[in-house]
Amino acid sequence: MTADGSPTTTPPAIEMHDLGHAYDADLVLRNVDLRIEAGEVFGFLGHNGAGKTTAVNILTTLITPTSGTARVHGFDVVSQRREVTSMIGYLPSEVRMYPHMTARENLEFFAKLSGVADARSAVNRTFEYLDCGDLADRRVGSFSTGMRQRIGIAQAIVHEPRVLFLDEPTAGLDPVGVRQLRATILRLNDELGMTVFMNTHLLSEVAKVCTTIGVLDHGELIYKDTIEATTARFPDETSLEDIYVRMESVPT
Amino acid sequence: MIVTIARHQILALRRQRTFVMLLATLLVMTAFAGVLGWSSHRTILGVYDESVKLLASQGEPAPENPFRLKPTLSLLSNMVVYIPFIGALLAILLGHVSLADDETNGVGRLVFSRQITRSSYVIGKIIGAAVVLLAILGAGFVVSYLSLWIVNGVVPTMTDSGRLAVFYLLSWLYLMVFALIGMATVLLTRRRSLALLSAMGAWLVITFVLPQITSGLRPTQSLNPITDPVSTSQAFFRVTSHARSFSIVEQYKQMSGRVLETTTATSNLTTGVGVLAAFAVVLAIATIVLVQRHDYSTGTSSD
Repeated sequence: MTADGSPTTTPPAIEMHDLGHAYDADLVLRNVDLRIEAGEVFGFLGHNGAGKTTAVNILTTLITPTSGTARVHGFDVVSQRREVTSMIGYLPSEVRMYPHMTARENLEFFAKLSGVADARSAVNRTFEYLDCGDLADRRVGSFSTGMRQRIGIAQAIVHEPRVLFLDEPTAGLDPVGVRQLRATILRLNDELGMTVFMNTHLLSEVAKVCTTIGVLDHGELIYKDTIEATTARFPDETSLEDIYVRMESVPT
Repeated sequence: MIVTIARHQILALRRQRTFVMLLATLLVMTAFAGVLGWSSHRTILGVYDESVKLLASQGEPAPENPFRLKPTLSLLSNMVVYIPFIGALLAILLGHVSLADDETNGVGRLVFSRQITRSSYVIGKIIGAAVVLLAILGAGFVVSYLSLWIVNGVVPTMTDSGRLAVFYLLSWLYLMVFALIGMATVLLTRRRSLALLSAMGAWLVITFVLPQITSGLRPTQSLNPITDPVSTSQAFFRVTSHARSFSIVEQYKQMSGRVLETTTATSNLTTGVGVLAAFAVVLAIATIVLVQRHDYSTGTSSD
């Protein structure tokens, strides 16, 4: 309770209200209302072009919504950009970074841009946490997709954000890489309490990692619930894929 | 944040192979300018010595060699041409890669999902490019000094060294305009190749087209630091000659010619520097404005 007796309310990790975005006349996000609590691993599902990346671009302050509002831990992504960016980490679908620089140089740069006072120590801690110190002093340009993804995760968490945005994080990874990434996401959520917002169209990933899912179809949020509730709600379907197909009415 | 961006930019440029190649070319040409100056001076002195011998054989007195009185720095007169040509291209490339690489590498998305503002980012980039250009021209100063000393056998006096330093500072200001053009075109276009082509187009107009219009279509104007305009009989060129102050390549050549004592020009250094600085400031402001509305949510084409 607060001093005046009103109940304290912790803002959700992510909140979208009536959120919309249009590229010229092309409406890619339509009146999305979504609330994700702190500590959740949220899987944002949808076919290619459904508007998932646009939503992440808005939440990471890269673009301004054309209608509605979006908040991260109570801070508005447009008017309180500095506060929002201080608490988010972002891994885009394709990570390239500065190819002529080592992983350490890249990470120190991003740590400094996030306002980390002792960037060197933060980078060392991150390498240790992700067990990828062997990559630290190698140039990023020589990395395989899997290595780049590991360094991508490292840059996204080097400043210890509260919310981690992952856009199609398993794209291009081999099965071992996918398994490693999955384990990393679960560790970040379990050990550091990070809220994870993951864009994907791979239902197998969602089933293994996420606590909650949302389905976006042509810019509209058509479904949101926990994994357990979802499987309970569609008892006749044998897999999440079947549920997804039914939700989206995709011809089979 | 600005310092972080600038320092990172300097490191990134040091590792850019294309940029390092162009830099090496500029420094070689700088040394070459000294060699050319030495070669032409030696030829002239050789002709003079032959004339003296001829006059002596005829019992005639020989006049004092006027070419020995030629100012030391005039041996570097070719630099006034190299800077607007090779130097400007180097500066355009520097400005271009400073911003374009961040888009191609998808780094822009990572940068702007952090606390840094777009203004801080681009100011850091401009400062980084300015420092790199200053370092390049500092190296040019050393090469020029050594070429005067070693190749030409002339140890520059303090005054000459000061003039040489002023020449390279003027060159720095001139090249900053082109570095900023390289940056602005990246923010104005969606494709890397188009950005570079646009910047090259601007370079062509500034270096070749404008001087010809404002100087009455003198074909040698784009190549040589000629200062006195030919009489402009046509009304069009009488009008355009008033815009001469805004032809930055002419301003640069006149000022450089005066500093290196390759011409007897009496151009006003303050006005010239003012025009160059005004161009640089306007372009810097335009770059800061353009970056605010640039879309960094996607990587651009890597063509």
